[in-house]
Amino acid sequence: MIGRERILESLKRLLKRLPGEQLELVYTGGRSDLTRYTRSEIHQNVSVENMQVYIRVSLGKRLGVVTVNTLEEGPLLEAAKQAVELARRQPENPYFEGFPEPAKYEETTTYFEATAEFTHRERAEVVKRIFREAEKLGFEVSGAFSTSAGEIAVLNSNGLEAYQPLTGAEISLVPVSSEGMGYAGAFSHDVTQIGFERLAARALERCSLNKAQKEIPLGQYDVILEPGCLAEVMNWLSLIAFRAQAFIEGTSFLAGRLGERSMGENITIYDSIHEPEAEGLPFDFQGFPKQRVTLIERGINRGVVFDLMSANQAKAKPTGHAGPPDSPYGPMPWNICLEPGDSSVEEMIASCGKGLLVTRFHYLNGFLDPKRAMMTGMTRYGTFLIENGRLKQAVKNLRWTESMLRAFSNVRAISREREVFSYGGAAGFAIMPAVYIEDFTFTGAQKEAITD
Amino acid sequence: MEIKDWLKEALANLRRAGAEYADARYLDRVTESITVRNEQVAALSRNQDRGFGIRVLYRGSWGFAASAELAEPEVEAVAKRALEVAKASYLTQRRPVRLDDSSPYVDTYRTAFEVDPFAVPLDEKLELLFSALKILRFDPRVRMAEGTMRFFKTAKLFISSEGAELSQEFLESGAGIQATAIQNGEVQRRSYPNSFGGNFAAKGYEFIEFLKLVENAERTREEALALLAAEPCPARKTDLIIDSSQLGLQIHESCGHPSELDRALGMEISYAGGSFLTPDKLGKFRYGSEIVNIYADATIPSSIGSFGYDDEGVKAQRYPLIEAGLFVNYLTSRETAPLLGKRSGGAMRAASWSHIPLIRMVNINLEPGEEELSLEDLIADTEDGIFVSTNRSWSIDDLRLNFQFGCELAWEIKHGKRVRLLKNPLYTGITPQFWGSCDAICGKSEWRLWGLPNCGKGEPPQVMHVAHGAAPARFRDVEVGVRR
Repeated sequence: MIGRERILESLKRLLKRLPGEQLELVYTGGRSDLTRYTRSEIHQNVSVENMQVYIRVSLGKRLGVVTVNTLEEGPLLEAAKQAVELARRQPENPYFEGFPEPAKYEETTTYFEATAEFTHRERAEVVKRIFREAEKLGFEVSGAFSTSAGEIAVLNSNGLEAYQPLTGAEISLVPVSSEGMGYAGAFSHDVTQIGFERLAARALERCSLNKAQKEIPLGQYDVILEPGCLAEVMNWLSLIAFRAQAFIEGTSFLAGRLGERSMGENITIYDSIHEPEAEGLPFDFQGFPKQRVTLIERGINRGVVFDLMSANQAKAKPTGHAGPPDSPYGPMPWNICLEPGDSSVEEMIASCGKGLLVTRFHYLNGFLDPKRAMMTGMTRYGTFLIENGRLKQAVKNLRWTESMLRAFSNVRAISREREVFSYGGAAGFAIMPAVYIEDFTFTGAQKEAITD
Repeated sequence: MEIKDWLKEALANLRRAGAEYADARYLDRVTESITVRNEQVAALSRNQDRGFGIRVLYRGSWGFAASAELAEPEVEAVAKRALEVAKASYLTQRRPVRLDDSSPYVDTYRTAFEVDPFAVPLDEKLELLFSALKILRFDPRVRMAEGTMRFFKTAKLFISSEGAELSQEFLESGAGIQATAIQNGEVQRRSYPNSFGGNFAAKGYEFIEFLKLVENAERTREEALALLAAEPCPARKTDLIIDSSQLGLQIHESCGHPSELDRALGMEISYAGGSFLTPDKLGKFRYGSEIVNIYADATIPSSIGSFGYDDEGVKAQRYPLIEAGLFVNYLTSRETAPLLGKRSGGAMRAASWSHIPLIRMVNINLEPGEEELSLEDLIADTEDGIFVSTNRSWSIDDLRLNFQFGCELAWEIKHGKRVRLLKNPLYTGITPQFWGSCDAICGKSEWRLWGLPNCGKGEPPQVMHVAHGAAPARFRDVEVGVRR
């Protein structure tokens, strides 16, 4: 952590050195510590200090971006001159109408001293306690536990000034037995909010159940997807549907269909920095205030996220979702949420005549047919057959291939409780409940490798 | 060079503090990325990234720390932090890490190139991309035309407490174009020379000119438009011919990743997954048919999967992973190879100064068939089947067994001829059965090398540049499409 004063002072000095230019400066940086373990032993353990300074210059409607990883005055000035040169050689961007004006931001809490000060030894001690618990059951544990502390600052020639510190703590626990694996994970800005013992108990219980997996016939099953599955689906929906570029190009299922129904009445998806489970950055990478954006409201297509330029292009209002200045993806939902329901995983299982409980998905791909949000993926860390309201049997990992528009039109129940998943580091998150979906399509299974 | 002296001093201090081994990498990389869409520059940036990382082995446990601040006190502080991290790792140690006895080298390595892409005026690059896009957009149904170019210039220094001192300089260039045609709610894409950014090589701007983006734009556009009117690929079991670029990705996902020994040992099980190629299968598992020979080769000139030395200082090598269909070798590191009684195969690579090296693919290549069989010969030899080209989607399970790939385009083959263009082709299979069904591989003249600059692995995620060589091949009785 460099601190607000030093970052802003360095960036302001650069603005002063180039008084005739229109500049936008973005600083992101900090320290990131990550402990990885396998077979109940730390095998990778890293601590990295880094930063990025994005310098965007506008010459009228021509833009140039140069990025460096230093706050030293000489390299910054040299980079700014290169950005001017890049801008000079580019065609005009008709949708650029200047950098944002100064703004007031909502207050959000994204920094916690306890996370920033968490040590390498403390991370090791937390996981060591979990290894001991696992050992009692004859399991070994894999996973990762990271803590980070960083800052983001945005300044521009219009006098805009934005700064926010943020911390993140994330842990994944994958117990491994001779027969299968389990999973539990958590993310929070505040490391003290992660209940390590409760998580460990959940992961170990799931691993205990995941044994003697049977093959089942492929086809359609009612399915209860735990929150981690939904977080991965939402990441893909953000990429193929909820961002401005996909909407403008016409590849998003929302393009030309705002106000129409794509999903069931019980589905509301939105982007928000104020949620009971976590808060997000109050501004985007241009320093524009983040707005709450309803993407799907009770199944109806409502909108996508924009930055200033894409909003101009689409003749829409900017929503404060600009990505880093060098991103080819444009604005993205950074804090995507699925509205909770009034059920629980236990109630969903009890209400299920025949179906499957899925712990996590693996290796999703949403490029099959983006207009229909057709995706494929595998199940992982425990897939269980439910019969007559009870978990009956662990089954082998399955491949599914399904339209998410169809799936979200068939949601029978949504849980009250939601979980937080980090999305692009500590700056973004997905907050997801568990859902019960009817008639979800399974198209393949993990088979044994045949040996001669 | 000051940084080298500071790093040497830091490694010496670590040895004095009780570390049995330490190494350091300093890296300076400049990247230029250009994305143009329709008539706009969507993103254009230059990125300079430099810093150093120190890796230390203390009583058999690893620690790593890295920083972008290039100052002597920071180098000392980072070395101390790496040691602290290693001491924290030691708290959970069960088996101490032991490195192999690979020799330390003192050497240099440099990519050969003709034209420095960073010296080519931006106007020239933009003009080339916009010229190609103008052809793609000639028909209004092409709603989105995109062109990309990316260039990487990397200087890397590696030193170790064993005396290694390696300076390597890499230059990489790549480009591609893509047409997205939309009509009546149907979206179809066609890319050239490959999807997701095109093709990449360890060459200069001469590689961009070699790709002939403008000359290939019309065909790319027409194929995207033809796909709008094409029938969907039916779901059935049939013979499948896979083009060179898609086969490259098939090799990547179903052979490259499962051959990584860290995956096979469970080191990635909580993230990217494990491998069905477990050590008990080494030397005796039939991975594919007898014509399947897949090599790891970090020595191919001008490829982004090549280098002089890996990020542990081990010299680049060439060796078979699959030989006559048998699984015979892993990609390995100095830590993992001795667990199998071997010496490192030189596959430890780090995405940047701020990452630890992991076992990564190099160039993983399917050897061409012995006979000089062309793609057209292979199609002519196929009674009933599907030919697929260019990847569109990819997914594989956590042991690398059950895969599903989607391609941009397919042709139905009947009686040795292409008879019908098909859209949205998918195919699926189980890795060893699939490679076991390979009955023909085209010859040398059809063999192409595909640079993939976006292979993801590890936590925190690392993006690596790898490459795959392949000639089109045929697989019998493959499940095509999705049966419901």
